[in-house]
Amino acid sequence: MDAFLAGAHQVFAFDTLTYMLIGSVAGIIAAAIPGFTVTMAIILTLPLTFAMEPLQGVAVMLSVYVGGYTGGLISAALLGIPGTPSSVATTFDAFPMARNGEPGRALSLGIWASFFGTVISTIVLIVAAPPLALIAVKLGPWEYFSLIVFALTVVASLVGNSLMRGLIAGVIGLGIATIGPDPMMGRSRLTFDTDLLMPGLPFLIVLIGIFAISQLLSEVEIHGKKTSHALIPKVIDFKTWQVMREVLMGPVNLIRSSMIGVFIGALPGAGGSIANLLAYDQAKRSSKTPEKFGQGSPDGVVASEAGNSATAGGGLIPMIALGIPGSAVDAILMASLMVHGISVGPRLIMDNADLVYGMFIAMIVSSLMMLVVCVASMRLFLRVTDIPKQFIVPTVIVCCVIGAFALNNRMSDLYLLGIIGLVGYGLKSLDYPLAPLVLGVILGPIAETNLRRALMSDADWTTFFTRPISAVLLIAAVISVVFSVRSILKIRKTARETNVASD
Amino acid sequence: MTVNVTEAAAADTGVSAASRARTELARLISYVVLGTGSAYLSYRAASLPTSRWEPLGAGSFPKLVFAVLALLCLAAAVRAVIDIHRAGGLHRVGAAFGKWLYIRRISIALFALLVVYLAVMPIVGFSVTSFVFLLASQLMIAGISRRTILQSVVAALIFSVGLNMLFAGVFNVFLPRGILFAG
Repeated sequence: MDAFLAGAHQVFAFDTLTYMLIGSVAGIIAAAIPGFTVTMAIILTLPLTFAMEPLQGVAVMLSVYVGGYTGGLISAALLGIPGTPSSVATTFDAFPMARNGEPGRALSLGIWASFFGTVISTIVLIVAAPPLALIAVKLGPWEYFSLIVFALTVVASLVGNSLMRGLIAGVIGLGIATIGPDPMMGRSRLTFDTDLLMPGLPFLIVLIGIFAISQLLSEVEIHGKKTSHALIPKVIDFKTWQVMREVLMGPVNLIRSSMIGVFIGALPGAGGSIANLLAYDQAKRSSKTPEKFGQGSPDGVVASEAGNSATAGGGLIPMIALGIPGSAVDAILMASLMVHGISVGPRLIMDNADLVYGMFIAMIVSSLMMLVVCVASMRLFLRVTDIPKQFIVPTVIVCCVIGAFALNNRMSDLYLLGIIGLVGYGLKSLDYPLAPLVLGVILGPIAETNLRRALMSDADWTTFFTRPISAVLLIAAVISVVFSVRSILKIRKTARETNVASD
Repeated sequence: MTVNVTEAAAADTGVSAASRARTELARLISYVVLGTGSAYLSYRAASLPTSRWEPLGAGSFPKLVFAVLALLCLAAAVRAVIDIHRAGGLHRVGAAFGKWLYIRRISIALFALLVVYLAVMPIVGFSVTSFVFLLASQLMIAGISRRTILQSVVAALIFSVGLNMLFAGVFNVFLPRGILFAG
């Protein structure tokens, strides 16, 4: 109870609430801009939190996170372009609804669904994380190593279009993490005696380079596509309270979509983009009027938005309970705690209970702030979609440079940022998924430490297969790869048959 | 009419197969580069001294990781070669590469500006280099007109000098002042 009150005291401090409010607005604005992802918004927030207390910093990032998931709705509904990858399915019904003359209703539905989705996921987080952490502290290095292998195979098979490229990206991440001092003895490795590589490749520099710089460079590619204009009439009736009742009148759809979001969010690497599509798909399958989906169905908007927003709480479950981030955003949150010297793992909840309870409270407060901010000033955010790229892209690059420099005050980090940004852009152009790479970088040292600890305790490799939990996790890893290969083969076969038929 | 449609569909299939083959070629090059690099890094990691205190030394994990990466790249490369062969081989690779570069001309120019920006920053400092970088990149993306010049100058001033002041004053983050201006 003391820890809960201590966490609440920090979150409800005036300056924390003010920063969170700014974060919420910034998250909504950032995600409303097409091409600007939630991850990028969090990356840009990170350097601003270095001077803050750990909980204050995480609370601000959570408010950006929660706001960001909702902001993607704006361009999805009004432009038909998902503001973030996690609002792809939102375009299916929110955009037709807006075109049918109800843009206010589409936006309000999305906002309320996001709010309830976040609240439901936070409740699940509060209930699930502490007992899972209690189990996790009993895991040995064998189980931990196997858990990371499982996490990486799941990420590789869920993200992107190719299992092979997903696996390659994940292993590149593990490889990047091995450059520099080794995590146990501090011996220098693969640095080629250069000052640039001597301290290793800092995770946050890799993250900014891989996600932000590569994304920004691809934003200015010219594919000859014309962007459509926003559907912003002079008068928009948001029907706020009427829509709230409408959302609550369909509790099954809301809870099912939120639970899908929580589950997908808790899986490593499977973030809002998958939850958004899966929740929509399930809502359509369960609907009595599936034919209305895609033509402006309110259930479609609720399912997609509740699904993606609920991944916020779901993703925090493995991070808090196991020290394994559920998504790139959770990896950044984890890194921000590590910057403050807090080690993230199953002991987090025992050693820093006030911080964890504070995060739970911050999630609820963030979702409330998002709701109030959206309801009160949605009209202003609608204009954000009109900001031209020439202002956004260079400015965000400068913000990335500041963020990378502020980490260690080293110019060499900026050179690394440039190199990694170029590599990230190259990989992105060739359709390599980038999330497994980033998770590989953060999980690499944990995997290595646990592997070496396990073999120091018992040099026999077969122990990984004789300890039951470790064996189950390794079998699960193999199954996830097998299933993924099977589905790829099925898709290839269908594509071949289609080609033959068309010939 | 039917003949025309069939011919068009066949042409489309041919174009998409050729395009698939070219994409696979680009990926094949990446697999070869990554695979060769990781094989070399695995070899380098193997030459690190072993530990007296534990079965795995500092080099064992990187050796394992880069060896796995090299194997994955090899498997992917074999797959890519098969895919290129199935798609009917490579045609007009040079022209396709030229188109690829043309689509990305602003991205490449922006990255070149970023390189110059980072190289000059330690000499001239954050504010001046950021102002020039922002102005140049904004005009490059938007095109040059009286209106864009005015907008870009204002935006560049705010996000170079303004950001520097914000970070120094509020967040106590002091950005590079540059050798020329360091007192």
